[in-house]
Amino acid sequence: MTAPAPKPKAMIQDNTRCIGCRACMVACKSWNNRPADHTDFFAGPGYQNPRDLDANNYTLITFNEVVTGAKPDWVFGRQLCMHCDHPACASACPTTALTKTALGPVVFNQNRCIGCRACMQACPFLIPKYDYENLAPLIHKCTFCADRIEAGLKPACATVCPTSAISFGDRDDMVAEAKRRIAAAPGTYIPEIYGLDEVGGTSVLHLSSVPFEQIGYITGLPKTSMPDLTHRWLRVTPHFFALLYAMFAALTWITHRRSRNQEHGGKTA
Amino acid sequence: MIPRIRLTWWDVTLLAIMAIGVVLAVARYAGGIGSVANINNAYPWGWWVGYGIMTMIALGGVGFTITLLVEVLGVHRYHALLRPSVLMALLCYSGAIIMLMVELGRPWMVWMILVSWAPTAALYEVGWCAFLYLSVLAFEFAQVPLEQLGWGRVLRVTRAIYMPLMLLGVTLSHLHQSSLGTLMTLIPHKINVLWWSDQLPLLFLFSAMMAGPALAILEYLAAARWLGFEPRMDMLASLARIEAWIVGLFLAFQVGDLVARGAVDAMLSWSWFALSLWIEVGLGLLLPLVLLILPEVRQSRGGLATACSLIVAGVLLHRLNVTVIGLRVRHWETYYPSLGEIGITLGITAGAIFVFGVLARILPIHEELTRSAAGPRRAVVPAGALRGARGIS
Repeated sequence: MTAPAPKPKAMIQDNTRCIGCRACMVACKSWNNRPADHTDFFAGPGYQNPRDLDANNYTLITFNEVVTGAKPDWVFGRQLCMHCDHPACASACPTTALTKTALGPVVFNQNRCIGCRACMQACPFLIPKYDYENLAPLIHKCTFCADRIEAGLKPACATVCPTSAISFGDRDDMVAEAKRRIAAAPGTYIPEIYGLDEVGGTSVLHLSSVPFEQIGYITGLPKTSMPDLTHRWLRVTPHFFALLYAMFAALTWITHRRSRNQEHGGKTA
Repeated sequence: MIPRIRLTWWDVTLLAIMAIGVVLAVARYAGGIGSVANINNAYPWGWWVGYGIMTMIALGGVGFTITLLVEVLGVHRYHALLRPSVLMALLCYSGAIIMLMVELGRPWMVWMILVSWAPTAALYEVGWCAFLYLSVLAFEFAQVPLEQLGWGRVLRVTRAIYMPLMLLGVTLSHLHQSSLGTLMTLIPHKINVLWWSDQLPLLFLFSAMMAGPALAILEYLAAARWLGFEPRMDMLASLARIEAWIVGLFLAFQVGDLVARGAVDAMLSWSWFALSLWIEVGLGLLLPLVLLILPEVRQSRGGLATACSLIVAGVLLHRLNVTVIGLRVRHWETYYPSLGEIGITLGITAGAIFVFGVLARILPIHEELTRSAAGPRRAVVPAGALRGARGIS
């Protein structure tokens, strides 16, 4: 008897249910042992703190001033690693320090990192961050609590959300649940699941009451896998290598034979 | 016998710049990247990558371009440029490696690339190719000191394997010069439409080929001036003619690509990006193309130096535009190079020029000099191919 293959997991971030309490940020720091930062009010829009993700903050509730109906309102959004099905970061890593696991998390193996920061450059969601002040710096990003998921637990953030804005389960079920919520309350949700097919699909699915670009999400991303952009070229590389080498060798042989013949001709004539 | 050279005012200046670079590099290792550099979470790659690696490797393309021309295509009239070009390439790649040791967050882990299997990563391929090519360059250039030392037995071995290794070097160059462009194709969402293209690998390869002859001509003119020999203007003029063709073809390719991708509007409407593109295309391609088309420019040292400098600067700006200037992430994020970043790259560049200048004075790098003057020991066959042997067998 073999155990059934584990189903990939996913998380719903339902921004319509978020009250901006930031318990997820606290739980995330706690589980991942990230130090506290000194914060000020109004680091970002409204009471948002900090302004952006960084090496100490793997997730962030964004406070966005949006005009809904006739009145201005704070609409919350959330930043965290999307755990892409086809992660650009992992495809860019020259040492496979980043890998996508079967359960969904894109995990970082710090023992392989050389610090080239190609993953930061590659990420379409601008997620991986670096601690530039550190003498042995590392990439920092949300882990999807891969260790907890492996042990059958939910990610830390999903356990603490007081309004069930964060749901966790098998990706198939989560996609169905997200669609169900949108269908059940079309007035509350915009009919879009951010992450369903962004860059080929992700393990985090966001729902919102307003268009995503209004709450700071990066929109307009391709619906296809980002790594394909480089694979197109890289997969032909070995063939190019053989082809070019043979071509240059042939050219060299031809040109040098000519000069050899000239030399011989010169001697005999 | 240790060859003695007299340090000139130029050497002292270069050494001073190197010293500043070393001090800054020490500060970087003592205080972390953040203590000297402005690169940040939004712009993880800055001047160090754009200039210190991307441009240095592109300029290092002079090695494979001239080798391709002389050894593969058999155009022996440019033979005098071969040794200087291989040495320049060796120094450019060495400079890029030194830059990498400063730029990487964990440089002591860099060997990890060589024990990984990451065929999906452009950097993996670049890493392997650059490592192998640097070895090939070192092997190629090693023949010059070996000849000087008169180590005949070693030379016989190196000459026997020269041809396959030379071909390997030319092939590897094609691969990693293009892979640096492949690397950037991954981020269409960050790079401005003026520069992101799925043809970036070819654009990078061809622009490196374009930088090659320009740098070779510049070096030859500089050597003629400071080492004191009469430059063979007929040779330079004919190479400049080839270069004009390369620049013209590259211009057509780049503009054609912009048109094909529908980026003409972005090119013609005002923005800082458009301005940067116009400087790149106008001063780096159009102007040198016009100059090189004029026969009188091709025959004049000043004219050639101007045109070739513009081409090299244009390649630098192209690399910077693709990797740094053309990138936009969140609207409030910004990046400009710090003095520390610039200082370290200047130190590396000065080091490369200094080493070149020293080697050019103690080794038979330039045929024009080795013909007349003798080094500490007469070069075995200085006028031969890079491998020294006369003719090719």
